[in-house]
Amino acid sequence: MQSILQHPLLQRTLRVLTVLLALLLLGLLTRPVEAPAWQVVKAGQPEMNLEAIEGSLGQGLVIGVLGGFRAILADFLWIRTNTVWERKDRAKLDAMIRLVTTLDPRPEFFWINGSRMIAYDVPNWRIREEGGYDAVPEARQQVLDLEQAEQAFKLIDTALDFHPENARLYLEKGQIYLNRLKDDANAAEWFLKASQKPGAPFFAARIYAELLRRQGKNAEAYAYLKELHRELPDSPFAQKGVILERISELEDELKIPVWERYRP
Amino acid sequence: MKTPAIRISNLTKDFAVGIRGMKLRAVDALSLEVGDNEIFGLLGPNGSGKSTTIKIILGLLEPSTGSCEIYGEPSRRVSARRSVGFLPEAPYFYRYLSGRELVRYYARLCAVPRSEIDWAVDSVIDLVGMSEAAHRRVGTYSKGMLQRIGLAQALVHDPQLVILDEPTAGVDPLGSAAIADIVRELKRRGKTVLLSSHLLAQIEGLCDRVAILHRGQLVKEGRVDDLVEEKDAEALVVQGLTPEGRAAVEATIQAQGGHLARVEKPRLSLDAYFLKEVHEQESAYAAKNKAADESTDGKDGSA
Amino acid sequence: MSAAESFTRVRLIAGTTFLEAVRQKFFNSLLLISVALVASSTFFQQFDFGAGELKFITDFGFGALFFFGSILSITATAQLFFNEMENRTALTMLAKPVYKLEFLAGKFLGAHLLMLCFTLVITLVLSGILYWREAAIVAQLGAEALADGPLIRYGDVFLFGFLQWMKFGILAAITLFVASFSNTNLYTIVVSFFMLIICQLQYIARDAYSGMEAGWERFFVFGLGLIFPNFQLFNVGDQLVFDVEQVLPATVVLRMTAYGLIYTIAFILLAQLNFRRREI
Repeated sequence: MQSILQHPLLQRTLRVLTVLLALLLLGLLTRPVEAPAWQVVKAGQPEMNLEAIEGSLGQGLVIGVLGGFRAILADFLWIRTNTVWERKDRAKLDAMIRLVTTLDPRPEFFWINGSRMIAYDVPNWRIREEGGYDAVPEARQQVLDLEQAEQAFKLIDTALDFHPENARLYLEKGQIYLNRLKDDANAAEWFLKASQKPGAPFFAARIYAELLRRQGKNAEAYAYLKELHRELPDSPFAQKGVILERISELEDELKIPVWERYRP
Repeated sequence: MKTPAIRISNLTKDFAVGIRGMKLRAVDALSLEVGDNEIFGLLGPNGSGKSTTIKIILGLLEPSTGSCEIYGEPSRRVSARRSVGFLPEAPYFYRYLSGRELVRYYARLCAVPRSEIDWAVDSVIDLVGMSEAAHRRVGTYSKGMLQRIGLAQALVHDPQLVILDEPTAGVDPLGSAAIADIVRELKRRGKTVLLSSHLLAQIEGLCDRVAILHRGQLVKEGRVDDLVEEKDAEALVVQGLTPEGRAAVEATIQAQGGHLARVEKPRLSLDAYFLKEVHEQESAYAAKNKAADESTDGKDGSA
Repeated sequence: MSAAESFTRVRLIAGTTFLEAVRQKFFNSLLLISVALVASSTFFQQFDFGAGELKFITDFGFGALFFFGSILSITATAQLFFNEMENRTALTMLAKPVYKLEFLAGKFLGAHLLMLCFTLVITLVLSGILYWREAAIVAQLGAEALADGPLIRYGDVFLFGFLQWMKFGILAAITLFVASFSNTNLYTIVVSFFMLIICQLQYIARDAYSGMEAGWERFFVFGLGLIFPNFQLFNVGDQLVFDVEQVLPATVVLRMTAYGLIYTIAFILLAQLNFRRREI
């Protein structure tokens, strides 16, 4: 009996089991230390659609992604996206942007620059494919612009699922309406939304007011600017002087009596 | 009675080999005592269990059965090693340290008090004859020098028992002779030395007692003279004898009831011959140098 | 033997281990490659990413720290351990009144000190490059780029370095543990890399566990998540440095540090369990 217990094979097995048991106990004991920290860390690492990524990356890279190289791999894919963009390969560009943002949805950088490529560059390529600005009728150009803008909006909407409070994303949507679609009403709506988010740039609110003016909603713009001027901090970036100028312009246009005019 | 430096009782060490755990017996029921202030040789061919025995004495290995004590303290205790200095076979040390830094490092590991450390380091370096090379990096040392600096690190905390594993392996006869001299000096200072070797000629004249191991078992143990002496024979070394004279001597031996077993030419061992020749060359070289120095000094003086 | 003496011995062994490691060609070439890689992140300039460039540089630097740090942590620890075994230096030390645990702790600390050096150099180079590029970008974009505060929280670069260093500590201790029962350097390195991958990915098993039905599979996955430490916990690079919505709370950092220390000590003790029995 004793010789069986002394057998090196059994001894070795016992040692392995002892180590495993010790590690198991250690795991249980450290859980209370680790779990709350892990909750926080995990919350900062949004889930990925693994199947979508695996299809385009292959399993080897997926392990790298899961193992902690997610951000850097997304960076490199973004650089590849840039070369695709330089080659004006719009089908591939679409797929790459989707891949990069699925892989790492955290940086706003990917979303914003991706949506710009889709909304601003791709329509140019498509118009050129169809014969150039001179050959393609205005109406067709507008259809193409709209199609691309809608794709960009879809991308930004997905981004907003991850970053509902990010002012820059709202701003981006407003800018596409404004610059590409010349749609002042919708642009105004998104600039307003942007201006209400934390950390929004000061110009978002100023542009909103300007867009109201362009739509002829001078009274609305006047009321908004007065409110804005009261709330803004005295930062040089807030450019309160410019706002005062706009207010007095509007007062002239609205023929506000002198005694009712805004006094800061 | 004084406590022996090492007492090994009925020591057995088995190693498990391979995944199925086949047993390999390295040391087999070994019992041995090494007295204080003795030079003891552990002899045996490669694989006879010398190194395993030494590792058990140093507490680096646990015996399967049996016990081992150093000055009465179980050898597996770390504190027992305070009184032990050890030089492994063909040691390697941090190459980037100088000889002195290396010995100092070991002195500090052994907790030699700070106030004594410089003196302790210098005196062992002096003892092993490395004073001139102590500032050089260990990486530049020859094998013999490595062995000597190794000896210095073994001695730096002034241990009562010094264990040397194959101290002369791979060292030239000059180096071996130097190490033998150090060992004799240690004995003179009252230390106990245990050394293992398979190069018997080099330690024959050195050890007080030896034990011969074979396949982990003790084959023979005793005083070197007792083991190798032909107890019933004597040798006369004679010079300038004529053939007639020799015939007369033989006749006398026979008449006295003796028997002339063999007649040999006495010879020096090759080791001894080599050392004698090298020493003569060295002295001649030194004398020549001295003479040359003196003549240049003289010339300088006259100029 | 007093604790102070014991501490001195550990410190001495750690010191020589560190010096030996720093003099290794492997360490120096890896450090050079890593620094060169981090420095090469300046090539992102050509893409004209604007302030986004800083994110690319940071990801790149953190990636290099994580990748090469893991390699160095495993290989240096294994090599430092086996060098001493094969050259019998360990024999001369353990023949002195030195406990085997002191020897292991010394080896670990030496390797860990080496990793501190590596981590510091990488984070310093990274911070330098970030500082230079930040200044260039601000000069380009104008002062308004800084209206919401600085673009980069430099403290976070070092915080990430510190947390990675804690992880390298666990990794070095795991390597020492593997080395304590293995006979060759190569085996130790291969097994330790497997351990690294498992520890890095164990969180997936844990996430899957919550969605599994009761049964032995669930039990197995549960055990897997407990046996291996969670390295993904230290993967917080993406949540640091830039002014994101959430800053890593100090309590989380403290928890991570405690977690790293506990596992490091545990693996050194487990290594001692094997090392005690090992023939030197």
